[in-house]
Amino acid sequence: MSSTWLAEAFAVFGKDWRSEMRARHSVATLVLFALTTLIIASLALGPIGASPGERSEVVAALLWILLLFAAAAGLPRAFVHEEESRTAAALRLAARPSAVFAGKLLWVASLLAALEAIATPLAVALFDLEVASPLGLLAALAGGGLGLAAATTVLAAIVAQGRGATTLFAALAFPLLVPLAVLAVAATRSALLGGEAGPVLLQLLLYDGSIVVAGFLLFPVIWNP
Amino acid sequence: MRKPLLLLLWLWMCGIIVAAYHWAPLAEGFKGDSSRILFFHVPVAWVSFVAFMAAGVSSLRFLAGRREARHDRSAAVAVELGLLFALLATLTGAIWARIEWGAWWNWDPRQTSIVVAMLFYAAYLALRSAIADQESRGRLSAAYATLGLVVAPFFYFILPRLAFTLHPEPVVNASGEVDVDPRMLAVLLASSAGFTVLYFWIHRLRARLAGIELRRDEGTE
Repeated sequence: MSSTWLAEAFAVFGKDWRSEMRARHSVATLVLFALTTLIIASLALGPIGASPGERSEVVAALLWILLLFAAAAGLPRAFVHEEESRTAAALRLAARPSAVFAGKLLWVASLLAALEAIATPLAVALFDLEVASPLGLLAALAGGGLGLAAATTVLAAIVAQGRGATTLFAALAFPLLVPLAVLAVAATRSALLGGEAGPVLLQLLLYDGSIVVAGFLLFPVIWNP
Repeated sequence: MRKPLLLLLWLWMCGIIVAAYHWAPLAEGFKGDSSRILFFHVPVAWVSFVAFMAAGVSSLRFLAGRREARHDRSAAVAVELGLLFALLATLTGAIWARIEWGAWWNWDPRQTSIVVAMLFYAAYLALRSAIADQESRGRLSAAYATLGLVVAPFFYFILPRLAFTLHPEPVVNASGEVDVDPRMLAVLLASSAGFTVLYFWIHRLRARLAGIELRRDEGTE
């Protein structure tokens, strides 16, 4: 079978969504985690009646903490699952490493986009927020989501390869994700409150670009024993 | 390092200590002699960045070359030393913050970001110790250290500038101009150079020692 790089990448992406739809491991973990956290947070913060400005400041940080922990809980499976079910070898034969990375990245990014699409409107509703710049919020979510997806995909590949390293995922991921979290929170905050977001979004894009490029360069090394 | 060179380094560092206390003027607006910590605090912070970058470069050489174990060892030693120097920068910073700001720790953006950098490289060491197989340990930890090459500039240069900070302007500040007394600048640069050479000397010793230990362990098995 001759196939182009793009076809291989989309095949990996499609395969992951199909097997996800059959078992619903990651989606269930991510969505339930997000829902529970949001409900606990809104119970704790909502009725007390902080002023809308204060609420926006808090929720911007809360939303990204939620996404970060949801990612740490649900996403390492992206590669661990391949190793556990012994399908990694078949995947190595079926597709080029960079296509595997692209497919997995696309899958993780789409999963996070779905999670953001559920969690963000819910947060806006539960905390009764006013969004000053919907477009800015979309940009912050997209920029943050892409960086989060790229970093977790690379790290998931690393921990899946190293026997006994799976439990290290959070320890490895959080320092790497701190710049992303800080930038994404700043961008989200200025989208909610209305303010100059250009420079922060640019830095977020710089972070995303560096991690994606580093991911494509490093993945063949991580993937092939 | 040869003996005369080592002697030169020793004299150089002694000269810096003397110059820092007796030749360089005090910075204006600081309590007592507290500004003199600059001549040690900034160089060790700089060296920690150099060490983390060196770890990334060694890791790249390991991955791109023939996967020689000495490059892997060199990266691990650089990370250990980088952590040591980052710790020294944090401690000297805390001492200064106690005098000038009134508290050892203030979660100033610069204090926070160096702690995050240390967490990142501590995770590198944790990853190394978690993987038993030597081949995958070298490969995977080198990949992680290469990611460090990408994010360390964020830790050192972008994060500290995002929020309001009380930290004095870095020597090369946002406007790109050097705004320091020439004598202070001279001592600062000489000290940075001295600490950098000191770092590379310790690194060479540690890397050689690690190689010898490895051969000894292989010999006894």
